[in-house]
Amino acid sequence: MSRVVDIIIDGENYRAEENSLLIDLLIQEGIKVPYFCYHETLGADGNCRMCMVGIEGQKRPQIACDTLVKEGMVVNTKSDTIREVRKNILELELINHPVDCPTCDQAGECSLQDFYMEYGLHNSKITIAQKVKHDKAIDLGANVMLDQERCVLCARCTRFTAEITKTHELGIVGRGDDAKVTTMPGRTLENDYAMNVVDLCPVGALTSKDFRFAQRVWFLESSEGICHGCAKGCNIFIDHNKLKYKDDTIYRFRPRRNDAVNGFFICDAGRLSYKELQEMRQESATLHGREISQEAAKEAFHNLLLLHQNSIAVVIDANLYTEEIESIINFANTIDAKIYAPLDIYKDASFADEMLKSSMRAANYKTIENLGITTSTPQNATLIINCNHPQEFRADATINFFTHRRETQALTLPIAAYTESSGSLTNEDNITQYSKQAVFKNSPLPTISDYLQGLGYE
Amino acid sequence: MSFSFSQENLEKIAALKKRYPSPKALCLPCLWLVQYQEGYISLDAIDAISEQTTIPPMEVYRVATFYTMFHLEKREKLQVDVCKTLSCKLCGADDILQHLESKDVTINHVECLGSCGTAPVMQINDKNYENLTIEKVESILEELL
Repeated sequence: MSRVVDIIIDGENYRAEENSLLIDLLIQEGIKVPYFCYHETLGADGNCRMCMVGIEGQKRPQIACDTLVKEGMVVNTKSDTIREVRKNILELELINHPVDCPTCDQAGECSLQDFYMEYGLHNSKITIAQKVKHDKAIDLGANVMLDQERCVLCARCTRFTAEITKTHELGIVGRGDDAKVTTMPGRTLENDYAMNVVDLCPVGALTSKDFRFAQRVWFLESSEGICHGCAKGCNIFIDHNKLKYKDDTIYRFRPRRNDAVNGFFICDAGRLSYKELQEMRQESATLHGREISQEAAKEAFHNLLLLHQNSIAVVIDANLYTEEIESIINFANTIDAKIYAPLDIYKDASFADEMLKSSMRAANYKTIENLGITTSTPQNATLIINCNHPQEFRADATINFFTHRRETQALTLPIAAYTESSGSLTNEDNITQYSKQAVFKNSPLPTISDYLQGLGYE
Repeated sequence: MSFSFSQENLEKIAALKKRYPSPKALCLPCLWLVQYQEGYISLDAIDAISEQTTIPPMEVYRVATFYTMFHLEKREKLQVDVCKTLSCKLCGADDILQHLESKDVTINHVECLGSCGTAPVMQINDKNYENLTIEKVESILEELL
């Protein structure tokens, strides 16, 4: 542990660890500093030169990402010289940029745009015809599209594939004006975390094939959620939007920083898992495969409970929120049913890796374990109430609470998916996290606990 | 178009490996060996270099694209590097160039070849040809073509 020293930034006193990076302090304290190449996980590269600050005693401006905090350092981030320096560097970054913001997906979350409005506001000294042309819309594989003209060569993506995934697919080849990010000829971007380069890219050079042209980012609303892809519990932003005359729709998942769980990244499988939340949904109560009214469903529910008294088993999906699980347990205790939550079906060793993906593909299985729920399959029950468990169970009768349509003749009640409700989850490392409701459908589906309340069970 | 180092080159690589603490230092020497062996650097050769040096293929490829003297495509014609820098220009490199344009060779304009005292100069297969005149170029090419 190094000692804490005093430093002055723009006339204000701050305390920071000696020899820590100055840019970290600036970011942490919310002092505006523009940068492309620096990233907290990937570290400093010092190639974009945007984070110039003035340091008293130094002749020339220095890059904050390569400056170590020293005792008594006096830093200036706002002087006219610094603004001028940043403006000139930005002009250089933009010199070959095609300025195709109207058709660029990054517009609205683009560092180039933001810095131009903040520092640039200059007219380009060269014409479009003089700009160096590169390839556009290159399909790199793994759902990533590359536009070499928009690239500022910050090398974040190449450092990601070199240092984080260690797959080394991307690199900057050529030199000078010819330099561009690319894969090796005939090879593609191929790793389970590839789409993170889209988030890492500060400009519109790398965009997601999945999200391209789907929505303008300023129309999207971001909710803080937890990915349900596996037991890791990666923090995500659920970006959704309710268009006029349309229902609330999710357009993408993005990683949300949480150093205790997932850092800055999520896996591609989790990122694309939003799609299945919106497809093949169970939208109304069904019996024998036919749609029935809420009242009829309620009646059928009560009749089945009466008929099978004392021989009922409730099976709980290990992806449900803890609050849901608790209310299901209360319900089961009221009707004297046995509770099961078979976990074997969630185990998938082929999914797991050493980074974020867990072999347990159930977001809340830890709660099942912590509550001591039986994890065997139900025995000797004549009625099984399946609370969205993926497995199929044999019994004389079944009541299903399903988010998605499945082949069944039994009484099936539609329930809200995890993005349509909120609750807490405990991940495999016993960290409990809260996932907020993101999607508010035009005709919202109830959760299981809503149902149970409506049916008279608290 | 698979590639493998010749036995002679493998021996050279083995000898070079002893010289450096890490095989990663062999990136540039290996690229040269490949270029001398095949005349150009194929993607398969890059994979072979990657195996020898423990550097990922992408990084070797980056090095190969950075230096203009490495060629990534097969070159069919005789490569003639003609100096385009001051001394040669003053001593009539333009005439030599003009003459070469009618020949069945690939002309590369290169920076100073370090032989200003004997300008104009051209280089073919690492050999410098100095004090050029059109007649001299004619006889050199006759020999090589």
